[in-house]
Amino acid sequence: MGLSTFMGLETNLRGLLAQQQALDTTSHNIANASTPGYSRQTAVLEASPAYTLPGVGTSPAGPGQIGTGVDVAAYQRIRDSFLDVQYRAQSMLQGQAQANQDGLQQVQLAFNEPTDSGISTLLSNYWSAWQNLSNNPEDMGTRQSLAQSASSLADGFTSLSNQLTTLQSQTAQNVTDTLTQANNYGTQIAQLNLTISKLTVAGDTPNDLLDQRDLLLDNLSALGNVSTTAGANGSIDVSFGGASLVAGGTPATLAESDLTGLTSGKLQGLITLRDTTIPGYQSQLNTIASTLISATNTQSGNGFDLNGNAGGAFFTGTDATNIAVNPAVISNPGLIAASSTGAVGDAGNALAMADMQSTNLIGSSTIDTAYTQLVTQVGADVQQANNQVSTTTALVNALNNQRQSVSGVNLDEEMTNLITYQRGYQASARAMNAMDDMLDQLINRTGRVGL
Amino acid sequence: MTVRITQNMLNTTLLYDLQNVSSQLQNSEQELSSGYKLNQPSDDPYGASQALKLRADLASNQQYQSNVSDANSWQSVADTALGDIGDSIERARDLVIQGGNDTNDSSDRQAIVTELTQLIDSIKTDANTQYAGRYVFSGTATNTQPYQLGTNDAYAGNTATITREIGAGVQVSINQSGSSIIGDDTSGLLATLRTVVNDLQSGNTNALNTTDLSAIDSANDTLLNARAQVGALSDRLTTATNRLQQTEQSTTQLLSNVQDADMTQVMINFSTQQAAYQAALRAGAQIIQPSLMDFLTSS
Repeated sequence: MGLSTFMGLETNLRGLLAQQQALDTTSHNIANASTPGYSRQTAVLEASPAYTLPGVGTSPAGPGQIGTGVDVAAYQRIRDSFLDVQYRAQSMLQGQAQANQDGLQQVQLAFNEPTDSGISTLLSNYWSAWQNLSNNPEDMGTRQSLAQSASSLADGFTSLSNQLTTLQSQTAQNVTDTLTQANNYGTQIAQLNLTISKLTVAGDTPNDLLDQRDLLLDNLSALGNVSTTAGANGSIDVSFGGASLVAGGTPATLAESDLTGLTSGKLQGLITLRDTTIPGYQSQLNTIASTLISATNTQSGNGFDLNGNAGGAFFTGTDATNIAVNPAVISNPGLIAASSTGAVGDAGNALAMADMQSTNLIGSSTIDTAYTQLVTQVGADVQQANNQVSTTTALVNALNNQRQSVSGVNLDEEMTNLITYQRGYQASARAMNAMDDMLDQLINRTGRVGL
Repeated sequence: MTVRITQNMLNTTLLYDLQNVSSQLQNSEQELSSGYKLNQPSDDPYGASQALKLRADLASNQQYQSNVSDANSWQSVADTALGDIGDSIERARDLVIQGGNDTNDSSDRQAIVTELTQLIDSIKTDANTQYAGRYVFSGTATNTQPYQLGTNDAYAGNTATITREIGAGVQVSINQSGSSIIGDDTSGLLATLRTVVNDLQSGNTNALNTTDLSAIDSANDTLLNARAQVGALSDRLTTATNRLQQTEQSTTQLLSNVQDADMTQVMINFSTQQAAYQAALRAGAQIIQPSLMDFLTSS
């Protein structure tokens, strides 16, 4: 009736084009099988709008509608945004745990325990040197050896203290670098926002750009707590650590003071290390060193040196940062106040010094136990950090697997699709061929009676 | 609905598992090569604190043993000197008895006086005994010679005690002053011997036979008492050494329990982990490689 003779050609053409586009999508998936952050895409095929055959009369039950083939309605990005939220929350915890672990492991290395060169061994040597002096208070060699042991101990304290200070300043640098990285991510997200909204306004769905933006959000969320709000035309507003990092196409340059709502992530981990953890260790170490200095110097003042003069300061300095053996004592070990009476053979003061080893000078702890507690605390902190890293890593991996399960490319599936679409294309071409034969019949052979 | 498995999931899972097994292997390897299961405090924080404490205990213990050994040497030097002084006293007593005999004439007594004077010097020489350059019987004035040879019997040392720490808070006094053992110019053995010399020179045999003899006996008692003290202290030091050695042994054992790796156990773990690692690698090689592509024939 009213149907064009060539309608079938048109239908087949749509079939060919749609199958080809689906094949292209499959190829795109295969090509990006290992691209980070890539979400697989499918060409959503749907039947093109049917053509209503004008019938005799207008009965709905008339001749009805005839199909016109297939259209690609959309290229869909397969992604579960709920999993993204979960993944990012866990990745944030992982970032914090890892920053914490990295820092604490370096602290643990600085302590260098239990070894023969750690402060605990140096302390043992130091106490033994006083005992030796108490056995042999007249002997210059024994005094010299005490001065050496004490110098080694003082060096142990200052070197550990310096390493902690260095770690702290490295961590501070790391905070700055991490913040710069976060700001860079913000700038990139803002640029993507601009492109995405332009394309969205034009009616496109920029799947690959959305993937890139999601990947940036993944990376950003490892640094700190991120929340996003959907803006106009597919752009998003991003807040980082409680401060606005991206508003549509405009990135902000955040300073550390802006991040008032920072709760977790690598940045928070580093800031805690810099402001709380490392200074905490440092202050405990300082307490131990300053107690040693003041107790030793007080005791030294109660005794007498080899010449019968009242003892002077044995240590100089105030805490672990600057503890040292009094240079006068090193150049003349006779100044060490070993005697408690002034007699050269008396070693009461040296024994009193040695007995400080078992005296509770710091609260209910001796110097040795206070140091051991510090080492134990560092060890326990590292162990906890290790556990946190393995837990969060396992969770991040599990969630990433879930995301991959939804969004990842399965090559078997793609190959199956490839075959499906290839066969569809071949079939459409075959149908086109049939149509061509039919038209050939009609045009070249019909009405040629007598020719 | 079955879970979709993608190539990336297989890859990341395999990688994660391989890394886990590798890190376990590395731990075992470190335990095997170092011989310690406690290589850093985080391996076992409680064990680390135990290990540090036990190491410190061990160091103190060894120091106490060295203190005891020093005190022992001191005692044996003192004991030898006291033994020699004892011999001299014995000889002096014989001489007093001999001198108290009325048959001696003045030249005989003069000979005894000469020998006694030499004995006094010999006793003082013994009292001047040194251990490692220190005068043993000089109190804490260890660089002052306690007695001058010759007629001056004054004691130049003091009566203060020298102590050694042989255990936590356990201090023993290791010296006795010369004046408490052989006295000086006013009392004790030396004063007695000088009296004897005077009595011999004045021929006072009565005094020689009575007061002088009993004074010598009492000086001998004082010396024996001093030797008994040295003996008792030596016994105490021996006991202390035994106790310290036992403690050292048990502390070493405890330290070993805390920080040393159980080699057999670690070797077994290591082999198990190695097997797991190889299995994971083999499985990985089998799983990762093939996909449908390997079985599609190109048409």
